Amino acid sequence: MKGAFAEIVTTLSHLPGVVAAMIVGASDGLIVETSPMKGAASGGADSRKHTAALAAYLYSKVTRASDAARLGTPVFMRLEAERGQICVVGARDVVLVTIVTSDANLGRVRLDMMKAARDKS
Amino acid sequence: MTQPTVAEPWVAGPLRRLMDDARLISGVLLYPTGKAVGQFGFSSAADVMSVCALTSAINASARELGRQLDGKPFLEMHHAGADRQVFMARCTAGSHEFLFVGVFDRESSFGVVEIYFEEFQKAIGKLSPATEVRGIGPSGDFEGELNRSLDALFGPLGK
Repeated sequence: MKGAFAEIVTTLSHLPGVVAAMIVGASDGLIVETSPMKGAASGGADSRKHTAALAAYLYSKVTRASDAARLGTPVFMRLEAERGQICVVGARDVVLVTIVTSDANLGRVRLDMMKAARDKS
Repeated sequence: MTQPTVAEPWVAGPLRRLMDDARLISGVLLYPTGKAVGQFGFSSAADVMSVCALTSAINASARELGRQLDGKPFLEMHHAGADRQVFMARCTAGSHEFLFVGVFDRESSFGVVEIYFEEFQKAIGKLSPATEVRGIGPSGDFEGELNRSLDALFGPLGK
């Protein structure tokens, strides 16, 4: 299973505009598998752990909101910020998280994340 | 949500932030000897007394277990129950060591608690309790220390 996770992370991290790709425990928010953070200074603060925990937490809240609105399970979550975006897709007991640049090909990222989630499930 | 009550005022700010950010249900900051420094989420001194005694004992056991298994003491522990989870870890301020035990449910997650506890560790680490702490070393009077710290948190019993 670890090999399959590593393959998913590698594939997603090679997409243009993807800064980091992670597989995170849906309930605990802990990183299961992650790619390196592109462009991160060596020895600098690593934000992946924080991003993973908070993205998984946010996804769980979005799931509740979506459920409350009787819309079913969220398919794709995108958080747009000033200098980039965070994308999250649920895959049963894990969530796929990518940190992408503002000018990334979001359609491609979305498609590949959802395909990876489908394959994983 | 109840605000923290503290025996030592310098921990009030960081403890409140940890409680709010990590969405903890309850928590206690204590010295490894079992003396409580601050708490939130508990309404009874007896509950805090139990938590302090158990945390102190668990820390001592886990520390020794870590030494035997890994050559060094464990830094933190996490137990996931069916509904609630317990997180226990150490932090230091100046030359003083503290233990923290917190309880959370599905409103939070282990990852979230862990990252905000790291921030709490940093915040506490920048503070200096040296001028405000009196007699934290083990005095041999475990029960007396525990009762004095609980009096500071909840007021003297029977008054």
